[in-house]
Amino acid sequence: MDADSDVALDILITNVVCVFRTRCHLNLRKIALEGANVIYKRDVGKVLMKLRKPRITATIWSSGKIICTGATSLLCSSKLGFQVIFTDFKVVNVLAVCNMPFEIRLPEFTKNNRPHASYEPELHPAVCYRIKSLRATLQIFSTGSITVTGPNVKAVATAVEQIYPFVFESRKEIL
Amino acid sequence: MPGRGRCPDCGSTELVEDSHYSQSQLVCSDCGCVVTEGVLTTTFSDEGNLREVTYSRSTGENEQISRSQQRGLRRVRDLCRVLQLPPTFEDTAVAYYQQAYRHSGIRAARLQKKEVLVGCCVLITCRQHNWPLTMGAICTLLYADLDVFSSIYMQIVKLLGLDVPSLCLAELVKTYCSSFKLFQASPSVPAKYVEDKEKMLSRTLQLVELANETWLVTGRHPLPVITAATFLAWQSLQPADRLSCSLARFCKLANVDLPYPASSRLQELLAVLLRMAEQLAWLRVLRLDKRSVVKHIGDLLQHRHSLVRLAFRDGTAEVETRGKEPPRICPAPPVSTVTGDENISDSEIEQYLRTPQEVRDFQRAQAARQAATSVPNPP
Repeated sequence: MDADSDVALDILITNVVCVFRTRCHLNLRKIALEGANVIYKRDVGKVLMKLRKPRITATIWSSGKIICTGATSLLCSSKLGFQVIFTDFKVVNVLAVCNMPFEIRLPEFTKNNRPHASYEPELHPAVCYRIKSLRATLQIFSTGSITVTGPNVKAVATAVEQIYPFVFESRKEIL
Repeated sequence: MPGRGRCPDCGSTELVEDSHYSQSQLVCSDCGCVVTEGVLTTTFSDEGNLREVTYSRSTGENEQISRSQQRGLRRVRDLCRVLQLPPTFEDTAVAYYQQAYRHSGIRAARLQKKEVLVGCCVLITCRQHNWPLTMGAICTLLYADLDVFSSIYMQIVKLLGLDVPSLCLAELVKTYCSSFKLFQASPSVPAKYVEDKEKMLSRTLQLVELANETWLVTGRHPLPVITAATFLAWQSLQPADRLSCSLARFCKLANVDLPYPASSRLQELLAVLLRMAEQLAWLRVLRLDKRSVVKHIGDLLQHRHSLVRLAFRDGTAEVETRGKEPPRICPAPPVSTVTGDENISDSEIEQYLRTPQEVRDFQRAQAARQAATSVPNPP
């Protein structure tokens, strides 16, 4: 496989975290009592609402701030609607998984990418590679599976494109 | 400055307000005579306008070593002594601790964090000198949690901008193997279990190298691999007497803790050895299994380089159909090369087909993404 040729890699988005505000204060107690899938955490002052249709967990504060996690696409995460106007919808974090068709030699990869890559086998089986400019973090496993977290989908895709040549260098040679 | 008066010496009017250090003075610019001097002390009303500078904002913090820092430095030295590290390590570790302490985040941290910081500094020093010290060992000595240790370790490496080399496997093997209490006969260790240290070390090293080459070490904690390798090395040096001893019993005899993943590593290592044995004609006919292959570890290790290359060609091994009566032509199962023409089982195909609902969702998501990318994201 030529490193220069275009490789179509499937990047699967597994989690989207987004934040939005409702313009009004929310009565947590009422939501907690009337809602069907809610967990009221009084000690931290928030309500957890777990939905099954788009499989999402929403954390709701009384100030009107809502954090939504678990969506598998950007559209799903915006489906959570109350009968209020919500503003400031912002995707905070996108987690995606990608599989390389080869295995990767992690110690060699770390040595070649010293400042950005961090590998501690005693703590975690993967190499943690941070791209500051994209604010993205990649976790590279020796099986070739790569987990990318970034602020938006484009950053995630760019991160994978950037990491591909480095990972290709340290791949396991098929003899 | 004109209009301020005259110099008593030369009579000029050119008086300049100048300050000698922090004391203001009126000086004649012609002859240099000091006409008036500011008052050294402040008046009561002046003092009323003074504002206190808190200790944390003054430079006092950096000039004096606080009691908490002194305690930390003492703990660093004690830890180095307990671990019997060379004296140069002590100075380096102390320097790292002091460097870390200059950051406000560390200075204001909880005592638990400062305790763990001691361990982190010692660990970084050891890693940089290729001294094999595991995080597990330090956590046991400090009675700290590995999670807490890992978070502080990551933080301090980032804060100090250090490049910490990875754990040296060969050194770790030597240190860890030497800690096994099997080199002298004792009431708990019968004579047939006693082994020569050098022979065991060299064989264990070879087995660990083999594990490294065959992808058993990458991404995993190094210690269980070494435990499994030591066990196999010990067994293979006198297989007749030792095959009956299990891994757990071995660790108990040697007075070493058995790490949980060691048994799976042992099975993986035995599988690798069996694949290598398949490549040797005189071993292939013996039809070895996981117990009998131990007797031949010596031979396998002697030729390990070529055997590994043969056994793991194309990422697969030849299927064990050789030696069976009619030699069938079996295709080697493809592992890494995916042609896309493989048959997909019915159960599997369900995962690849999209339901109509998913198709609609996907189309809507695509449209939404188009719309979203045309509008710039809020920063």
